[in-house]
Amino acid sequence: MSNGWIILCMAAIFLGLGYAGVPVAFAIISGVLFAVYMTHVSFSSIIGQLFHGIDTEALLAVPFFLLVGELMTSANVTHRMIVLAQTLVGHMRGGLAQIVAVFSMFFAGISGSSTADVAVLARTVGPEMDKEGYDRDYTAAVIASASTIANLIPPSIMAVVYGATGNVSIGGLFLGGVVPGLLVGFGIMIFNRFFGPIGVKRERATFGQFTEALKLSALPLMIPVIIMGGILSGLFTPTEAGLIAVAYITFVLIPLLNRKHIKHLATDFANAGLLYSIPLAAVAAASAFGWMLAYLKGPDVVSGWISEVAGTNPLMIMFLLVVLFVIIGDFMDAIPAIIIFMPIISVLTQLGEINPVHMGVVIVVTLAFGLITPPYGISLLMASKFVGVSFTKAVVRTLPLYLVFFATIAFCIFFPQVVLWLPKYLLPESVGCFHAPSGTGYICPGF
Amino acid sequence: MWSEPFVSARERNLKWPALDGLEAFLYVAGGAAIIGFSLSVLFDVITRQIGYPWLWLQQVTTGCFAYGVFIGMALAARRNEHMYLTEIVSTLSPEARRAFEVFSRVVVFIVAMFMIIFGWENFLNDMGSFRMPSLIPLGYYTIIVPVSGAFIALFEIEQLVNGLKNGFGSGESHVAETHHE
Repeated sequence: MSNGWIILCMAAIFLGLGYAGVPVAFAIISGVLFAVYMTHVSFSSIIGQLFHGIDTEALLAVPFFLLVGELMTSANVTHRMIVLAQTLVGHMRGGLAQIVAVFSMFFAGISGSSTADVAVLARTVGPEMDKEGYDRDYTAAVIASASTIANLIPPSIMAVVYGATGNVSIGGLFLGGVVPGLLVGFGIMIFNRFFGPIGVKRERATFGQFTEALKLSALPLMIPVIIMGGILSGLFTPTEAGLIAVAYITFVLIPLLNRKHIKHLATDFANAGLLYSIPLAAVAAASAFGWMLAYLKGPDVVSGWISEVAGTNPLMIMFLLVVLFVIIGDFMDAIPAIIIFMPIISVLTQLGEINPVHMGVVIVVTLAFGLITPPYGISLLMASKFVGVSFTKAVVRTLPLYLVFFATIAFCIFFPQVVLWLPKYLLPESVGCFHAPSGTGYICPGF
Repeated sequence: MWSEPFVSARERNLKWPALDGLEAFLYVAGGAAIIGFSLSVLFDVITRQIGYPWLWLQQVTTGCFAYGVFIGMALAARRNEHMYLTEIVSTLSPEARRAFEVFSRVVVFIVAMFMIIFGWENFLNDMGSFRMPSLIPLGYYTIIVPVSGAFIALFEIEQLVNGLKNGFGSGESHVAETHHE
């Protein structure tokens, strides 16, 4: 059997078993085991790859960013940020829907998890939206769409996985995600303003109410400062910054804001132990899949197809990759997708001489969009379940919001200088800049 | 008797009470792994900042991390909390659902057997490789793969036997609770 057929069978087994109800990690391993059987690779080396796939230092950041979300949610300190969002945009048309978008931008700076964002919003703002007469389909649609921002504004778990597997600067990806994250957030707000439900008209908050809300949420809002400040100043790696954020929540935030929660901390940690292992089990399996794909020269075949159509035109390469990842994101989870397809992305990034951080941001935005597309739009699945509407109705209501994502993805492709502006100024080495021989400033090729 | 959060109350129809202690142990061990991993990163930062880095701490960190992942993988198998591509199975007729549930668990069981057999082979090979600078045999890390596989295989047998006896229904949909992006 030729390599192409083996790859096709491996992918078909994974998707077939996955859609037959086999857990993702085991469906992926099954596909890989078939490929091993058809080649000269030993079973023990591929099972060993399960361990080596997660034995990467950069992946150590994932549990911390999940733990930050878990601690913030379970300690119930997020409502302060909801109040702050309310003083900022609660008076606007569709006030509660606007609060969802603004809160998601705040929360994205704290947690790298879209699902934590959905859980918080669906349980707090969701019932209020219900009372104010928003139709539930729209509530689910706007919560799910806004939750994707958690994967764009740093810290982002997708960016950590992308950086770790693609050997791309995680700090650069974090900073590159800021612009698309804000674009999605403000895009949702504009949509709410002109096309969303009206909601209940509220009085504009006074300056005093705003400063009071800001004061109350000052402690939680220190977390993004700690994480990005630590990384940008070079004091900490992303993993260590995540740890410092966890320590800050455990030893400062919870004792000051919700002392009663201290006795539940051990449970939070134990829950986080399970929480981080689930996506990382899929990472372990996907890394074995990616290894097998590389062994079978899959990246050369797929990148050959793409380069046949796109040549070395970076815009065409990115466009075709976006199309590919929109399709992939419809059917599978983002984290295994990044790992499985990373060899292909790497080859095409070099072929088109694209900045790796730019390519990473485009791929992460595209996969974040996959969180709200059927049949496997996990954020939308969760939001519709929490809000209590059928997934199909929520999908229909989300369709117009896809425009926000298409516009953001197109913007990221066509304006790399805007996407890379923050990394270039705050972390120049992350985007390939190097010290000028004169000793002052940086030289940034391609800008 | 174990209770929440040590043992999940969901899908009791698929569980033997005799294995509840094992689930509780895995839950606590997973928590211990993340606490150990957090502490080792913390000490790593502190010792580096004060100019006396303990280089072996990084090996403790990666060990706790990997153990946590594979322990969690086994725990998630018992709690049926792994990531799924679809929840179509829970919407099927009882007969069709039964067939899919059995099939899914047989597949997971086979994969777990591969993890046991070839993971053990790996472990034996890795006892001859060492991590620098502590010279800890790599096998001490990779042993967790067959151990996790053994737990998973045990839990799949448990669910198969109980599912065929009591039915697979009555569990909540697993999709919403278990994804973390």
